[in-house]
Amino acid sequence: MSMLSGIRVLEISDSMVDFGGRMLAELGADVVAVLADAAPDTARDLAWHHGKTRLIADDATVIRALAERSDIVLDGQRNGDRFGLAEIAARNPASIYVRVTPFSPVGPNAGRPATDLTLFALSGLMHVTGEADRPPLKFPGQQAYSLTGIQAATAALMGLYARRRTGTGQGIDLTAVKSATLANYREAVMYEWTGRIGRRRGNMLVRGKSGVRQVWPCLDGYVTWSMIDNPSMMRAVVKVMEEHGVAGELSAIDWDNTLVADTAQETIDRWQGVVETFFAGQTKAALGAWSLERGWGLSVIHDPKDVRENDHLRARGLFVSVTDEVDGRSTELPGPLFHSAAMDAPARVLKKPVLASQFTGWDAA
Amino acid sequence: MGALDGLKIADFSWVGAGPRATKDLADNGATVIKIESRKRLDLGRMSPPFAGDAKNHDGSAFFAQTNTSKKSVTINLSDPRGIEVAKKLVIWADVVVENFGPGFMDRIGLSYDALKEIKPDIILASVSVAGKTGPMAGFRGYGNSAAAHSGHAWLTGWPDRDPHMPPLAYGDVVAPMFLTIAILAALEHHARTGEGQHLDISQIEPMVHVIADLYAGETVAKTGNDDAACLVHGAFPASGDEQWIAIAVETPAQGEALAEALGLAAAAGLDPAAIAERTAQFDKFTLFDRLSAVGVPVGPVLDGKELIDSAELDGSGHFVSLEHPVLGKSRMPAPPYTFAGTPWSLAASPLLGEHNTEVLIDLLGLDPAEIDHLIAEGALA
Repeated sequence: MSMLSGIRVLEISDSMVDFGGRMLAELGADVVAVLADAAPDTARDLAWHHGKTRLIADDATVIRALAERSDIVLDGQRNGDRFGLAEIAARNPASIYVRVTPFSPVGPNAGRPATDLTLFALSGLMHVTGEADRPPLKFPGQQAYSLTGIQAATAALMGLYARRRTGTGQGIDLTAVKSATLANYREAVMYEWTGRIGRRRGNMLVRGKSGVRQVWPCLDGYVTWSMIDNPSMMRAVVKVMEEHGVAGELSAIDWDNTLVADTAQETIDRWQGVVETFFAGQTKAALGAWSLERGWGLSVIHDPKDVRENDHLRARGLFVSVTDEVDGRSTELPGPLFHSAAMDAPARVLKKPVLASQFTGWDAA
Repeated sequence: MGALDGLKIADFSWVGAGPRATKDLADNGATVIKIESRKRLDLGRMSPPFAGDAKNHDGSAFFAQTNTSKKSVTINLSDPRGIEVAKKLVIWADVVVENFGPGFMDRIGLSYDALKEIKPDIILASVSVAGKTGPMAGFRGYGNSAAAHSGHAWLTGWPDRDPHMPPLAYGDVVAPMFLTIAILAALEHHARTGEGQHLDISQIEPMVHVIADLYAGETVAKTGNDDAACLVHGAFPASGDEQWIAIAVETPAQGEALAEALGLAAAAGLDPAAIAERTAQFDKFTLFDRLSAVGVPVGPVLDGKELIDSAELDGSGHFVSLEHPVLGKSRMPAPPYTFAGTPWSLAASPLLGEHNTEVLIDLLGLDPAEIDHLIAEGALA
């Protein structure tokens, strides 16, 4: 069996909760997604909706009937309530009704339109992503939506835990702008305690009084590694450099009693220069192997093809083949969320959307 | 009454990837006992920014934000007598959480098999960079390692520039969210079957999941701020130094509204350069108001100060002001959701060992004289 088998989830898709519904489906819940009134997007549909029953909302009464029979409603409508779900949820006291809005319904921005990009801008993350000579950057994909979806699933599962104790469901309000902002654990706290406002520093990681580099060219690509405050990692890197006779002044540093975050920038730059010369003469494979064997914390920067073909991820079965029921095509996508002995693999199919009026499930709504 | 009242967590995790998940649980009512030690300080306690002395292990605002609502007990896990006390917490707990380096829990005798012998239905939740199985299972890394291994770093940034790392350890944000989900799902499974299990969360895999839409595409390429599904999608300059407004136009109607509101010449269409020329004339908050009013999705690019000053966040309880013995009154991030029936409640993060008496004597029923002895010997330090 799967962890959430038998749990009925009605998802009102409109990007903000789609990944949350996908997570619950992956965990075994029976997820019925009411599709947004927007043009289909093949890639996003595959990624976020496989494993769900997909409905086209041709009959609002059916959607309301499903809401009454749900354990969980994930309502992610960005613009109002097409189906009058709030009152329906109130009629089903066992229902856990997660209403997601871009902004607080009682705040200064209530009702304003929003997308992943505009929410990401408001999170404070965009301000510090990118290089100083170009505009701020978003993260890849749609991270404000992904973060909101995960929080929606989290809230729903907490509601489920509470329901086992109290016997009743409840309404839960979630805002996307807070979900995105919560991911930004640095900028507000840094300003509050130091008065410093973060800037776009490219691949420089600023910690405390100074910044450390994150991306390093090597013979055949790039790796990421940082001179962070982890003494055992620092000693492990310096040890290999010593074996190659290139550790220079790094050999003499007592890493246990050195707080890199509080070290002068010019000193860090000098130390990093020694590392840069060493890395530039090595391959990704060599550096990656040392990292694994010696505990460096260095990572090879993989391109998407490398990720798909990666031995480790293959061994763990991350990518699974998902078939589009409409055209029969298969696509390799991430499947399991984590490893657990209590999980069966759910159906790996992007189902063909059906009209809500013709849906025969959930006791023939 | 929080949603997770009655839930008991023995939290061996440290720094970011574990503690952010146990914060979720603690803020919502779970009793989370954080097992830590002066002999091997949580690196989070040494992470900036600090209130005053950086050497004060109770003065890190980073730690305070990541560990709200928890209890702290000091147990030296390198001492066998400390391990024996830790095992008593395992018996008490519903869930054990850890994010130690590879093999550490096994070496100290707290492997999943060992925990099961102590408590057959225990849920062990482990989060690590690469997971507990596979060729890279022994990999030691940090939050941004997952950005590199997942393709996230490669897919970030401008097509003509180097790979771009996230400006913070994004893997330390996303993985704990998966950890929280995993624990909650395992609790549902336990409620149905009485079974515990070992949850193995990798930081790399969640980072692939959150860009699954890119892996689902015909070609996987980095595109800067572009989104092929939108007519306009980018950050545009506003008046002032380093001021920007993000604009996303999803429909032709929004495009027309944008063109009219900005006074774009018909011939220019929705040319980004023409949009930038107009947006640069206005304050970003003015643009937020005006363009939102005509139905165009926009968002000012906010900095850290503007987050603190945000009426949206302030009015909706994003930060909760708490009194902390070292930090004083300070803002802590709260969950982004509001439960009508089981509201969350935040308490300040614990001082190191603050709850030793409460946990060791009141909860576990250990003999006070024995505890004094073990403290003096360094086993409970």
